[in-house]
Amino acid sequence: MAINSGRQIKMFGVYGLNLNIEKGGVKIEVSGGGREKNYFRKAGDEVIEKKIYANNGEIIISPVPPVNLPIHASNHLMIEFDKSIFVEPGVEEKIFIKFPVEIGVFLSDEKDIEPLDIFTKTKLKYTLYGRPEDGFVCRWWRSEIYKEIPNVDELYEGIMELKIKNSYSEWTEINKIVFNTLTMKIFYKNHAYCSANLEIIKKSMGKTSFNEKVEGMNEAIDLYLAKSRKLGISLAKEIGREFFMERGFK
Amino acid sequence: MTIWDIFKYKIAGIEVEAILKFIGAILIIVIIAKIVRTNIRRGLKDKLPDPTVKNIERFSYYVIIIIGFIASLSIIGISLSGLLVAGGILGIVIGFASQTVVSNFLSGIFLIIERPIGIGDAIKIEDVEGIVEEIKILSTTIRTWDGVYARFPNEKVFTSKIYNYYSSPVRRFEYKIGIRYSDDANKAIEIIKRVLDEHPFVLKEPAPVIFVDELGESSVNLSVRIWAPSNVWFSVKTEMLWKLKVALEKEGIQVPFPQRVIWMAK
Repeated sequence: MAINSGRQIKMFGVYGLNLNIEKGGVKIEVSGGGREKNYFRKAGDEVIEKKIYANNGEIIISPVPPVNLPIHASNHLMIEFDKSIFVEPGVEEKIFIKFPVEIGVFLSDEKDIEPLDIFTKTKLKYTLYGRPEDGFVCRWWRSEIYKEIPNVDELYEGIMELKIKNSYSEWTEINKIVFNTLTMKIFYKNHAYCSANLEIIKKSMGKTSFNEKVEGMNEAIDLYLAKSRKLGISLAKEIGREFFMERGFK
Repeated sequence: MTIWDIFKYKIAGIEVEAILKFIGAILIIVIIAKIVRTNIRRGLKDKLPDPTVKNIERFSYYVIIIIGFIASLSIIGISLSGLLVAGGILGIVIGFASQTVVSNFLSGIFLIIERPIGIGDAIKIEDVEGIVEEIKILSTTIRTWDGVYARFPNEKVFTSKIYNYYSSPVRRFEYKIGIRYSDDANKAIEIIKRVLDEHPFVLKEPAPVIFVDELGESSVNLSVRIWAPSNVWFSVKTEMLWKLKVALEKEGIQVPFPQRVIWMAK
């Protein structure tokens, strides 16, 4: 029954319909014989219990874009840097930052994937990017800037590799970066991982995007594709893959 | 009857083929206008102030649509010179609008083009508040907060003062909280800030503003101004006031009852 045993307990992965994982204050358990299963999840003080009726199927635990809690009220993620970055015209630089992790538990079979539960250990906070009349509500997170891949608690934060390119003719200061999470491609192995780009187009305008491939990592479940699968559409593919930061970097 | 015959069929003296071409032309014009508007916004950003850019992009958008619409009229056999000779477009529009149905119809079209409200928006028209359920060509339906459906003729919607609570992504609300004169207002402000910081949808930016607003008869009145996403605004508003009251009392700061000091003569 205890599928995830061993010295290094990992949270993310694909499991059968019987599992018992306990790590870092999070416990996920699917128990019960026959067709009726009991789902139990505890994270901090929050406890969720659900019933599952299934013959086959799998449980997938995967990082998802961090905009679903406490309810889905935004499609944007803002990461504020702890220090300002100044980029010279023409310069391309790669840095690493951290993003908050929300963990999705999915039920899956050959035909369908269904979100069963989403939770997080991170503090939830939202902010506005732009002006009150036409800005974007964003999930807010603050990150330090790293030159090398930092250590993270996989249940708390993921790592984002960010390539910054200044295509504008002037020095540009960046304090924050905003992404459209509908196009967020998350990968995982020991922790959640994203590869993203920021191209500075003007003094206060840039475009952000996510890369589709990361070598040596598993692709996380695309929550929006999972939700839209029944409708036979791919939301993420219907919309542009770039987000234009038209309201500045400060 | 073949498909070709359907194209040649006439509605009000205009062939279906011409009507379809006219609709296609209008769609293309709208797409072109949107592309131009987006490019103007991105091109002029950083060069002109935001309101100026907004005015230019709006002006360009509607000029393209109006010119395109007038130019497309020839597809369905309406010539501009003919219209002008007959008294001008304005005269015709005013003439039609004098009839209620046509007025509602035109108002419906303008509502769709201008989009002051959208389906699912929380709005207030005259004294009716609720969610927009439907915008039809002649009327608009609003579901009030207590579940009653109210139907407005589009002319009424178009000419009324409309408050759209969802048109901007965030919304502000305000509490007035009174504390005793003997309480430390700075401490109360710190407690309120801490409680607000714990709520996900009390936005980080624009940041909440808390200050001593008034020295009242019975209390020192604090003003607490909070921004929240428009779609969760009401739940945040109903949730936070009690949380603030509980948090303040837990720290020994009380909301006083009305009181009056009486000096007795010896």
